[in-house]
Amino acid sequence: MSILSLDFLVFFAAVLIVYYIFPLKIRWVALLAASLVFVALSGWQSAAHLSIVALTVWAGGLGLQALRGVRMRKLLLTLLLMLNLGAMMLIKYQPVFSDWFGFSVWEMGVPLGLSYFTFQSVGYLIDVYRGKVQAQHNPLRVWLFAGYFPQLSQGPISTWKELGHQLLEGHRFEPEQFVSGFQLLLWGYFKKLVIADRLAATTSALLTENNALPGWFVLGGVVLFAIRLYMDFSGGMDVVRGLSRMLGIELPENFRRPFFSRSVAEYWRRWHITLGAWFRSYLLYPLTTSSASLALSKGASKALGKRVGLALPSALATFLVFVFIGIWHTANVNALVFGAYFGVVMAVSMLLDPVWKAMRRRLKLPKGGWMTVVRLVRTWLLILLAQFFAFTNSAAQGFSLLRQSFSTWDFSAFSEKMTSVMPLLEWGIAGAGLLVALVVDLLCERKKDMDARFLNAGILVRWPLLLMLLLSILVFGIYGSGYDAQAFLYTQF
Amino acid sequence: MAGRAKQTGAFWLRLVCFALSAVLLVVYATYVLTPKHDYGVCSMINLYAQPQNSVDVLSVGTSLAYAGINTNTLWSEYGIASYNLCSAEQPFWVSYYTILEALKTQRPKVILLDAKPAVYSRDYTRRGRTILSTYGILGLGNRIGAMLACVERPEDAIGYILGLPEVHSNYQRLSVSDFCFPPDNGGRGAAWKGYIEMDETNHHQRPSLVWTDIKRNMNVREEEYVRRIFELAQAEGIKLLLIGMPNPDYASDHMFYNALWSIAGEYGIDGINYNHPDLRYGLRYSSDFADWQHLNVKGSVTFSRKLASDLKELFDLPDRRGNALYASYDACSADWYAQYPDFKLDMKGDESI
Repeated sequence: MSILSLDFLVFFAAVLIVYYIFPLKIRWVALLAASLVFVALSGWQSAAHLSIVALTVWAGGLGLQALRGVRMRKLLLTLLLMLNLGAMMLIKYQPVFSDWFGFSVWEMGVPLGLSYFTFQSVGYLIDVYRGKVQAQHNPLRVWLFAGYFPQLSQGPISTWKELGHQLLEGHRFEPEQFVSGFQLLLWGYFKKLVIADRLAATTSALLTENNALPGWFVLGGVVLFAIRLYMDFSGGMDVVRGLSRMLGIELPENFRRPFFSRSVAEYWRRWHITLGAWFRSYLLYPLTTSSASLALSKGASKALGKRVGLALPSALATFLVFVFIGIWHTANVNALVFGAYFGVVMAVSMLLDPVWKAMRRRLKLPKGGWMTVVRLVRTWLLILLAQFFAFTNSAAQGFSLLRQSFSTWDFSAFSEKMTSVMPLLEWGIAGAGLLVALVVDLLCERKKDMDARFLNAGILVRWPLLLMLLLSILVFGIYGSGYDAQAFLYTQF
Repeated sequence: MAGRAKQTGAFWLRLVCFALSAVLLVVYATYVLTPKHDYGVCSMINLYAQPQNSVDVLSVGTSLAYAGINTNTLWSEYGIASYNLCSAEQPFWVSYYTILEALKTQRPKVILLDAKPAVYSRDYTRRGRTILSTYGILGLGNRIGAMLACVERPEDAIGYILGLPEVHSNYQRLSVSDFCFPPDNGGRGAAWKGYIEMDETNHHQRPSLVWTDIKRNMNVREEEYVRRIFELAQAEGIKLLLIGMPNPDYASDHMFYNALWSIAGEYGIDGINYNHPDLRYGLRYSSDFADWQHLNVKGSVTFSRKLASDLKELFDLPDRRGNALYASYDACSADWYAQYPDFKLDMKGDESI
């Protein structure tokens, strides 16, 4: 059941009523029941796999807490990680294994939210191992943490500290929180249905007629893909967070206006925040504090100097993390190029950071002002380069489009080319939608509490804006018969 | 505590007001974005604008009926107050709910039922425009009933029932008149009686067929709903007459019409098939059709004169001309004859035929 469907909205309305009718102490049971129904409706495979993961994580958590010996705890954790991450990889990369070995190990489809609930559960196990959280004795509570229905479609990936207690505490109906959730929900649908799905036509045009396209068309298409991906993913996330907020549960932010980033590192702190945090906490940190990393640091310090010696292990670990992030998306060369590219950019920027700082001091470059624009443009260009491999079907196609974007910039057939993608009116609607999104993002970037400010605005301001938003979604959204509603791009991961 | 209860009460009140505003906005947006074809949507909405119980003959059916039954001829030459409540490819299940809705405001003496749907083979309505034609039905029960009858599974009707999922993309074709209620009926005004003229001329020959009594089974659902229409007419005490509209393509329809006439016979209902080779009333297949099946203006006038004289003969239909309740018929006819003066007949009434 897609969170875009009418069925889901009816389902959610029923959940809301039941949830707030339940006694405060057992409201988590209503959430559990809703999540069970939601997962079951997505197919028995999803329900079975999620239940097995939840069961192993529950038992594993208790085991990790009960065991005293460091070696035994480490061994158990390793086994649990291999089991859960191994199962995820087997299922996720089944088509690749099938190509390699000629037979399928899993033919039942990918369970809904596989990566998200696996990462979240694995995070819980590591946190129990590290003694950061107490293992839960009730397996149903662990199941709810892993399978909380709003976040199954595309995250965010929460830690137990962020989500666990919120799920189990009963939440009173808070009108302000409810309205705030509703606003976020509408805003998410607007970004997804009015902007992202409308821009889907531009990506299709690039993929289907990638021969002899003018350079401006290719570059424009890639820019629009980047925007579409952001609108799609962040829109979906707003829907998920809005739904959850209406239930009184605050999910962590997953996007913080990444296109305003002044460096690639900042971009990754603002884009898919919870995935980045997960990799930082559970992969980067162990890698950089490992004995191998310390040995490398020592060796590099001797050979290349102290500064490089300190930065090299972190740079290498960062590179590896990005390769993993790339492969997490899909097991193909494109994803590898995508991850490795960002890994190289990040590693090089870390290694050259002292050089860059010295240069800035010597040239007396300002921190803000025009330098901000230069840094914004530089970050945009670096991000765009990666997008060539984010939506194409093969690395060769990515490189081909990249080549074409530097080829002829013939504008003679501009209007013809544009209207071949979609009618002028549709371009106008997409443009207007993007303008609204830009204004909102700019306001949020400048004033951190825009949501609260909007909530406190009088109904003469708020209601017309909300009604216009609702009407825009219903009239200009891409849905209904005759449309192929686009699934959220990140649901597939 | 009391303050919190007061706050919560105010919140619920605001929520209800907001929801009502949203619903009103969505209903209006749905209306604006609904294609307001003069057939179906407009003719149905316009029926509500007619004075109550001012229709003596209600014609229900497909485009053959709305293009063929010239309400202006029936009125100006015979004083018959008739209204066409037809839409393109209207199946009997839509006709059924259309009649139900019409009976809320009108009490016709005769219902003319176009026989054409007897040939339709589909169990359900696939074409969106046919389902969208039900948007003119303002009574929610009948509108939803018609939509549910059109689709195979109830869930397929949800988009049509909600409206916007089906019509929202029509913003590309909006004009200023789409924002007005009631719709402008293609510039015909509120006095319009549902006749839609077709001006083209397409040359045909009288259909060549062997006139037999052989029947070909109608589609089961079409049969189910035509039976419902017959039963409804009987329950309401309204006379019903089946009409076989003249059609150059009739040969392929003949055996289905036989089946329909046979079913009607079970209810003691009669009909006139104007495709019968013995019926000669001046209709020329070479000049009286607009396309492969619809009568053009000239054909509609010729056919309607014959129809009117048959109606007068079969039923006790009063001449309503001069009655103030029926003034809109005069207005409609005057407008129409101003556009088509060649079809104005000087002599009035039965003696003109």
